[in-house]
Amino acid sequence: MYVSDFTYLRPKNLEEALDLLQNKDDAVALAGGTDLLVELKTGVRLCSHLVSLADVEEFKFIKEDEKSIQIGAGITHSQIMQSSLVKEHIPALALAASKIGSHQVRNNGTLGGNICSAAACCDSAPVLISLNAQIEILDATNKKIIPLEDLFQGNKINTLKKGQLVSKVIIPKTGKGTGVHYEKFGLREAMAVSVVSVSVMLKIKNESIENASVVIGAVAPTPKVSVAAVGILIGTPTHLLVEKSDPILRVSEAAVGDSIPIDDIRGGAQYRRDVLFSLTQRCILKALESAQKNV
Amino acid sequence: MKHIIKIEINGNHYELAVKPGITLLDLLRDELKLTGTKRACELGDCGACTVIMEGKAVNSCLVLALEADGKQIETIEGLAKGEELHPIQRAFVEKGAIQCGYCTPGVIMRTKSLLDVNPDPTVDELKYELAGNLCRCTGYTKIIEAVQTAQEYLKGKEPEAMVFAPQKSAINLSVVGKRLPKIDSPDKATGRALYTDDMTLPNMLYGKFLLSPLAHAHIKSIKTEKAEKLPGVKYILTGADVSDIRWGTSPARYDETILAKDKVRFIGDVVAAVAAIDEETCYKALQLIEVEYEELPAVFDPEEAMKEGAPRLFEDKYENNINTHVDHHFGDINKGFAEADHIREQRFVGNRTYQNPMEPHCAIAEWDRHGRVTLYTSTQVVHYVHYQLSRILNIPQGDIRVIMTHVGGGFGAKAATTTIEVMSILLAKKTGFPVKMKFNREEMYLYGRGRHKQFIDLKIGVKKDGTITAVKQKAILEGGAYSSFGVVSTYYAGSMLPTLYKFENYKYDGLRVNTNLPPSGAFRGHGCPHPRFAFESLLSMIADDIGMDHIDIRLKNAMEPKYTTCNDLEIHSCEFTACLEEVRKKSDWERKKGNLPAGRGIGIGCGGFVSGAGYPIYRSKFPHSSAIIKIQEDGSKAVLFIGDADIGQGSDTVLAMAACEAMGISYDRISVVSADSDLTPIGFGAYSSRVTLMGGNASKMAGEDIKKQVITMASELLGISADKLDAKENKIFNKENPEQFIPWEESAFKFFSAKGPLTGRGHYSPPEGLGGTYKGAAVGTSPAFSFSATVCEVDVDMETGKVKVLNFWDAHDCGTAVNPMLVEGQAEGAVLMGMSETLMENEVFDSKGRMMNADLHNYLIATTADMPVIHSTIVDSYEPNGPFGAKEVGEGATLPVLGAVANAVADAIGARVFELPITPQRVLEAIQSVKKENQNI
Repeated sequence: MYVSDFTYLRPKNLEEALDLLQNKDDAVALAGGTDLLVELKTGVRLCSHLVSLADVEEFKFIKEDEKSIQIGAGITHSQIMQSSLVKEHIPALALAASKIGSHQVRNNGTLGGNICSAAACCDSAPVLISLNAQIEILDATNKKIIPLEDLFQGNKINTLKKGQLVSKVIIPKTGKGTGVHYEKFGLREAMAVSVVSVSVMLKIKNESIENASVVIGAVAPTPKVSVAAVGILIGTPTHLLVEKSDPILRVSEAAVGDSIPIDDIRGGAQYRRDVLFSLTQRCILKALESAQKNV
Repeated sequence: MKHIIKIEINGNHYELAVKPGITLLDLLRDELKLTGTKRACELGDCGACTVIMEGKAVNSCLVLALEADGKQIETIEGLAKGEELHPIQRAFVEKGAIQCGYCTPGVIMRTKSLLDVNPDPTVDELKYELAGNLCRCTGYTKIIEAVQTAQEYLKGKEPEAMVFAPQKSAINLSVVGKRLPKIDSPDKATGRALYTDDMTLPNMLYGKFLLSPLAHAHIKSIKTEKAEKLPGVKYILTGADVSDIRWGTSPARYDETILAKDKVRFIGDVVAAVAAIDEETCYKALQLIEVEYEELPAVFDPEEAMKEGAPRLFEDKYENNINTHVDHHFGDINKGFAEADHIREQRFVGNRTYQNPMEPHCAIAEWDRHGRVTLYTSTQVVHYVHYQLSRILNIPQGDIRVIMTHVGGGFGAKAATTTIEVMSILLAKKTGFPVKMKFNREEMYLYGRGRHKQFIDLKIGVKKDGTITAVKQKAILEGGAYSSFGVVSTYYAGSMLPTLYKFENYKYDGLRVNTNLPPSGAFRGHGCPHPRFAFESLLSMIADDIGMDHIDIRLKNAMEPKYTTCNDLEIHSCEFTACLEEVRKKSDWERKKGNLPAGRGIGIGCGGFVSGAGYPIYRSKFPHSSAIIKIQEDGSKAVLFIGDADIGQGSDTVLAMAACEAMGISYDRISVVSADSDLTPIGFGAYSSRVTLMGGNASKMAGEDIKKQVITMASELLGISADKLDAKENKIFNKENPEQFIPWEESAFKFFSAKGPLTGRGHYSPPEGLGGTYKGAAVGTSPAFSFSATVCEVDVDMETGKVKVLNFWDAHDCGTAVNPMLVEGQAEGAVLMGMSETLMENEVFDSKGRMMNADLHNYLIATTADMPVIHSTIVDSYEPNGPFGAKEVGEGATLPVLGAVANAVADAIGARVFELPITPQRVLEAIQSVKKENQNI
């Protein structure tokens, strides 16, 4: 195997990186390389300029302010798993990160890379989307903030334009009574691509669901909010959310209804619906459990 | 354009100019010759290339060398301090955690990075943390044990001596029967062991193949002019440039050409070959070769392929694409079924699986100026490569030297001559320079020779008491485009069924059918695992039908010692019943069977295999294994020269132990030279589980030859008649008065001075006339047969169908275990591989015949996170035909697994999956169909 010829560029800072991405033909940003190198080696992707983000220190932070946790795009999955801020405020994200690839992959792969690869089975996006995360997109002249959802256009297609980079993910802090959980179903216990994934966020107030989000992964071209499931959840008294209860079955059915799965080598469309149905129930119960603990 | 980087590796500082596309792995291996870091999947899926960068384990295949600028790197070469192994390396050596050794450097580096930050991981943490490092040999059990031991060593603790009860047959032996570390494991633990791809010869070129992009097509023209003009390209060969000779594996079906002549038959068929200054130039040249194809209709399903009017792969042979047809009938099937009280019939479908040795095939050829060629290669079968090359090149074997380097696993994938072995020699001849050729992971799958997918219709009749009265099997084997081992596979699929249970009436109909897919070949358990899966499944179904316990029905029919099967196979030692009783007891079968909650299940499966095929692959009267032992002139050490191949299973160690025992010396006084056609006498190699028995007998005989001579010498020195002397534990002593002795080395030293070189010769041929006289009677014959039973316990998620295997309790009759630690390693590896095949492995093709998962990302094999607890036992047994009573274990241990898992899943879900692999989707569909049936009632 070999990588086709390209020019390697190593900007020293963010400004230089954005300039190169804007002005070089066919320029691709290199973060951890765990996806990009595979694509270059297998010839799925060609590029004439590779812009290394290795020295772009501006992307390597996890910090908080009053309203949010902010994670730089250059933070690796391992760093997310180890971050005390993440563990305290978004444990479900640490859980999702722990389910990506292998330890070696998590050591190099970055959050920015994971979401920009825009795979339908992306493991970090469902939790983030369920928390209404936003991303900051930069180019040489502009800066904008958009919902993470809007980065995903189709399987492995993102909405970034030439010269644009995702610089950070902004995750709103959740108040008391909120719980988030992530369930992933793969075909082996580790190093498995998600066949189905679900993230559920629940906020309890007065013993009923005040706010909720259900994000389903690997069952549509992009991770997707199940609007129908959320609709049923909001307002449901928490005591009705127990195993096999009517509302929980209806929510899961709604999630299935919002899915548009395909047949592929990992599973058939109907199988994905069946698994999604079960996974959604489990995920709701776990999310509820953590919401109830978070008082 | 090259960039200058500064990098620190193992404390050494380098300043290097590197090309942008080079990975850290390439830099370490190709530029710096730090070849301990292994290249296996190249896409971050296997962990073999793991190094520690800035304290963190990374896959060096996914790091551009330029990205490592300024970084601190640790590789396997930096771990040992001089002679002293790092505690992790020491633990891996001592615990038997190293087999082929190809994954070892990566696993050790990952372990180091883990223990550096977490000195006390739990077993569950270890299973999670090490999951990025795939191993195909060990079943991970001994790796986890070694890591736990390393944790102790790192804290300065020494291990407690292991209490170990030898088998009865090994009680009076000094070397055989001991748990000794493998002879090659320190080299493998330190990255010093050289595999073919680790070698570079001066002025070496590289070669690559152009593969067919179409499953079936005529080649109308090939134009190579543009490619030839590319700077760095040295030579291009196409079908027009090579001889028309047909070659392959089984002489009855030589049907492959050196390069495609007029037609391609599968996506991956070899169309042209390029030699160039490096691989990158080869790849670029391949893109410039213009081939005009006329696409032909293709066929991928064997049942479709047999139909009238289906596309034919070969116009001149294999009518209806039927490559092999076996029609066997023993006893009287009609009478047998007439006597049955209960008959059941079922169709089972196997899966198309690939061996996936961690090391990709590699070969380096170099011609000297005297018309002699040397081939370094990763093969299981030096002799067959030697023989086939002589045929293909039309030069005597004397002008070819085949040297097996260290080999990173085979499992059948390297059990025949490969196209890279042939082509590297041809390109080296044309260019005048050494040529290295290797497969990448995708090319390994496309070259194929994995397990035949089988479609099996099986019918068994039993009496009320469970006695089997008749068995009828029809198997259709999906052969792929060429024959490979397929004739033998087709016979094996039928011939081994009667070796496990006694039955007299048996009919087998076997059809191997060509399809436009990569050729199928011999994979661990050769031809037998799918029929055995079918048989074990159906036998348990029948037991349920007649209200009999699953183990009882097996005991009722279990093979016994000194039995001749209905197809004329002679069983000698057989402790199958002991295996069944053992697993029944230790799995707590009686308490669990039928009493586990929904979703939890337990199942039994059994199997066994030949201890070496009774006849060679091509007709010859050669001994199957031969050995020469030369004693160093000072008497200090023996060197065993043996033709058989250590591909990781540990044959160098086992054969050395047999030789030591026979000579009367200790294990530290021997070294081994194996599998080099110039230096070692012919051994047929590592296939059909033959090495322990056959190579063991040859080594033992050579050892006895030495012993006789040193005793004669000692007799002269001591003045005691030779018949009163014996040799053991480095002494030659008076049997009547052991105090009267001389050191072994003294006698050997004096021997050389008095009589010249002290050498011993040994050889082994199976007993004459094995097997019956019917057509195909040779397949299945063996000097001895192994037996195994295993109980599997699973937990099934009833909502997703996901199967988690919790436990295997397995027992093996392998005769005397020459090295019980290595036997356990074989059994654990076989169990995990069998489980992986049963639950997750399958090659998938699109409608055009293109393989969709030719990597380790989408073709799943089990990781540490998937491993169950494996409780292996070796039962007491003694095989009269084996060296010190030994027979095989490596393949026989695979065979029970498929059925055991299938039966456990059936027990857990109350429904059965008849097609492999037993994926979560199939399990869930089975659960749903039962639910539907129940609703309809």
